[in-house]
Amino acid sequence: MMILLIGGSGCGKSYYAEQLCEKIPGPRYYLAAMRPYGEESEKRILRHRQMREGKGFETVERYTDYSSLKLPSRGTALLECVANLTANEMFGPDGSISDPVSRVLSGIDALAAQCDTLVVITNDVGSDGTVYPDSTQAYIGVLGRINAELARRADTVMELVAGIPIVLKGKLPS
Amino acid sequence: MILVLGGVGAGKKEYALSLGYRVDDFTSDPYDGKPVLYGLETLVRKDPLSADVLFSAACGKEVVLCAEVGSGVIPLDRGEREYREAVGRLSVRLAKEATAVVRVVAGIPAVIKGEV
Repeated sequence: MMILLIGGSGCGKSYYAEQLCEKIPGPRYYLAAMRPYGEESEKRILRHRQMREGKGFETVERYTDYSSLKLPSRGTALLECVANLTANEMFGPDGSISDPVSRVLSGIDALAAQCDTLVVITNDVGSDGTVYPDSTQAYIGVLGRINAELARRADTVMELVAGIPIVLKGKLPS
Repeated sequence: MILVLGGVGAGKKEYALSLGYRVDDFTSDPYDGKPVLYGLETLVRKDPLSADVLFSAACGKEVVLCAEVGSGVIPLDRGEREYREAVGRLSVRLAKEATAVVRVVAGIPAVIKGEV
C-alpha cells in the first residue's frame, strides 16, 4: 500500500512518517532524495539521521532515477521527499531543464512494486502566491501535477498540520 | 491552551472572538497577561532563536494564534527558510501541549485535536 504525506516546512511530516514506518515489522528503508549542497543541508541530514536513530532504518541515498533502484528485500520504504526528487530530475547539474513528470512517477511506481508499504513525503509549494522566474513557476506546476498523480495512486493521503494528520483520502493507518 | 492555526487572513482572530473573547483580550506581547496571544509567527520572525522562550510563554495563554507559513516554494534566503521551519516546529510543540487545535480555512474552523 502507498501512503502520501503532504505539508509545509517544519509541519512534522518526517517524524510522523517515521513513527508510521516504525510500527510495521520487517525491513525498513529510508530513501533520501535530498542532494547535500552545503552546511545547512548537512545539518538537516544530521537532524533527520538523529531522529531516525534506533528506528531500524537502512538509509539509501538516491537523488534521481528510482526506476533502476533495487531494494535488498521487500518491506517498508520511506521516500523523502518528492519535492527534492522532482527538482533533481528537472534541473540538471549542467543547467539543463527537462520534464521530470514521467521519470518521477515511473520511479515511484517501480519503488511501490518492491514494497509492502511505501510512505511518500511531499510538499505543497503552490500556496504562497508569489510569482517566480519561469523555471520555478514550471517546477511549481510540475510538482503539483506529480502530487495529484501520486494522490490518485495512494491508498491514504494525509496533510500534516502542526504534527496532526488530516486525512484527505482513505483512512488513518491503524 | 487552544492553538488556532491557519494562513494569513484566514480568520483566526474572528474565530477567537467567536469563542467569547473581546478585542481587549488580544495581545501580541507574550508577557502582558492578556489571555489571547496573536501573531506568534511575527514574534518568531523578530527573533528566530526565541522559540523556547515563546513556547513557555504561549503555553501560559488561553488561546494562541499562529499563522501557517511553511507552504510555498522553499525560499532562496537562508533566514527565510529558517524562519518558516522555526514557526512550523514551534507549532508542532504547541499542538502537542494544546488541549485543542483549530485550523481555520476561509473562515471555517476545523477542530483537528481535542474539543473546544
